Amino acid sequence: MAMFRPNWGADTVGWFDLKIISRHFDVPEAKDIEYFEKHGGYASARKAVKMDPASIHAEVKASNLRGRGGAGFPTGVKWGFVPKDAETVYLVVNADESEPGTFKDRHILFWNPHMLIEGMIIAARSLGVQNAYIYIRGEMQREYPVLQRALDQAYAKGYLGKRCFGGDMDFDITIYRGAGAYICGEETALLSSLEGGRGWPRLKPPFPAVKGLWGQPTIVNNVETIANLPWILENGGQAFADLGVGRSGGLRIVSVCGHVNKPGVYELPLSVTGRELIEDVCGGMRGGRKVKAVIPGGVSMPLLDESELDVPFEFDALQQDERIAEVEVQPGIKFDLGGGRTLRTMAGSGGVVVMDEDTDLVSACWRILHFFADESCGQCTPCREGTGWLVRVVKRIDAGEGRPGDVELVASIADGIAGNTICALGDAAAWPTLAFLTKFRDEFQAKIRSSTFVAQQRAAAEQGAP
Amino acid sequence: MTTKQLSPEIEARIQELWPRFPPQNVAKALCIPVLYLAQQQFGMVDDDVVDLVAERLGLPPAHVKGTATFYTMFNKKPVGRFHLQVCTNIGCQITGAYEVFDRCRQRLGVGNHGTTEDGNITLSEVECLAACGYGPVAQIAERAKPDIPLYFENLDIERIDQILDALADGDVPTQLGS
Repeated sequence: MAMFRPNWGADTVGWFDLKIISRHFDVPEAKDIEYFEKHGGYASARKAVKMDPASIHAEVKASNLRGRGGAGFPTGVKWGFVPKDAETVYLVVNADESEPGTFKDRHILFWNPHMLIEGMIIAARSLGVQNAYIYIRGEMQREYPVLQRALDQAYAKGYLGKRCFGGDMDFDITIYRGAGAYICGEETALLSSLEGGRGWPRLKPPFPAVKGLWGQPTIVNNVETIANLPWILENGGQAFADLGVGRSGGLRIVSVCGHVNKPGVYELPLSVTGRELIEDVCGGMRGGRKVKAVIPGGVSMPLLDESELDVPFEFDALQQDERIAEVEVQPGIKFDLGGGRTLRTMAGSGGVVVMDEDTDLVSACWRILHFFADESCGQCTPCREGTGWLVRVVKRIDAGEGRPGDVELVASIADGIAGNTICALGDAAAWPTLAFLTKFRDEFQAKIRSSTFVAQQRAAAEQGAP
Repeated sequence: MTTKQLSPEIEARIQELWPRFPPQNVAKALCIPVLYLAQQQFGMVDDDVVDLVAERLGLPPAHVKGTATFYTMFNKKPVGRFHLQVCTNIGCQITGAYEVFDRCRQRLGVGNHGTTEDGNITLSEVECLAACGYGPVAQIAERAKPDIPLYFENLDIERIDQILDALADGDVPTQLGS
């Protein structure tokens, strides 16, 4: 589309002209409803409350908007799962951002809370929702008061509450604070938590859109997903789809951390490759060092090595592009996602972790596994026990106490977790582990070869030899 | 039975939140928000606080305890006046979080989740705080105060030393936060 031409060669901030959600980032006044409205805010919501719900849904479907929380599921399709005759439908915004490497939703909540609220009004109109909840991470102590203040302002203006914008729609938003559990970012665990208990995931189906919060149809959407809705309604679903690539509409907010010169949050076209992201957007690598590995979408996702960075960081490309190696269980044996589908990687949550040539990947793998072992909710045995085993074996490899066969042991534990649990946390621990072993097996084996265990065995063997 | 009582502020907040949830589900739904408020009042969630919350909401104490122990932000043991939480997850790890965390351990003379003898500071290693681009990151909570809306980013030995100095003097170094 000619209208939104990339602005090549400019400073990184102006790298791409169009900003949908990030246009108010770093503008402190944007937290105020007056500023937000002066810059076009709430116009879409004002329009939406008078619109036919089905026509809003049609725009969202046409937009090719895909869920920005991790799974990349088409939002319009998800909304379509809500039974037509449902009396009570809930909308829950997933603001429990806690995927390591990801810090985009925190920026949206802090800099642009009104765009989220406006998006929620639009979604509520389309879905027939009267009560919505924002489930915000407990640790987001800085964002919570900002969001609450924005809500208070919207209530004071009559945009929320009884008869929103003077129309026929009643709509309430309540903030619900999590209390420190990564698993609550999983949508069914989030609902269990919001109901006031342990954040235990539930079996799907039934999917929340059919049977969710308190047994009622519930749409759970990510913050960024919802914040895109005002633009979609303003410019039309087709324009949003045209911004994207293939079956993925719009722009994407990626958060980049690690060894780049300019880590941060960037709203970018989905066609941007990993290499462009590092070199053009983030100002290259710190100290001019080389890239060793990149995690493309939060630590749950298989990592890429340097040779795989020319693939666009887009949902379908990262899953299918043949330039990305398939994850293996053992050398030569591909990991099976089910039905013979192989695993490359996924766009996940848009949290990009860049690691330079000096990074100890065994140590990084251990830290990731330590996280999953810590955050496993404990319901399913393969995940509860398996993540603990993984972390113990990888820890001993990392500590220079690894034993011959440990790499195979790690792979077999990971393979035993994947696909055998209620929710995706088990997969989230297993997939990256297998990817580390597929792409950086030598590093693990080198540590084992030089381990104290191997040295002791060798010394004992030499002593015992005639 | 406990002699503790929920403060009038908590009562008021319960009244405010009550209509936001369906009548048949509200008591359970308020379990986590009320535990939060009770922790602010009492500094931690021990069995007394669990009983108090269970009684107020008409929930089985076992449910409240099961919920409280599931979440890391509910302190089951007393914490210091300041709770210093240092992230060591991947984004922070690869930018030097363990140097920062070890410096804290060494200066405070405590291990993970340990509290200084004077009861001033509790040190915890925490999981991702969603500020990965600005690591290493820490967050500070002060007892009985509403949340301090600050993150301490891009930490190194010099910056963490300044923070520890200020906390020792009884101040949160807000000028270092963002």
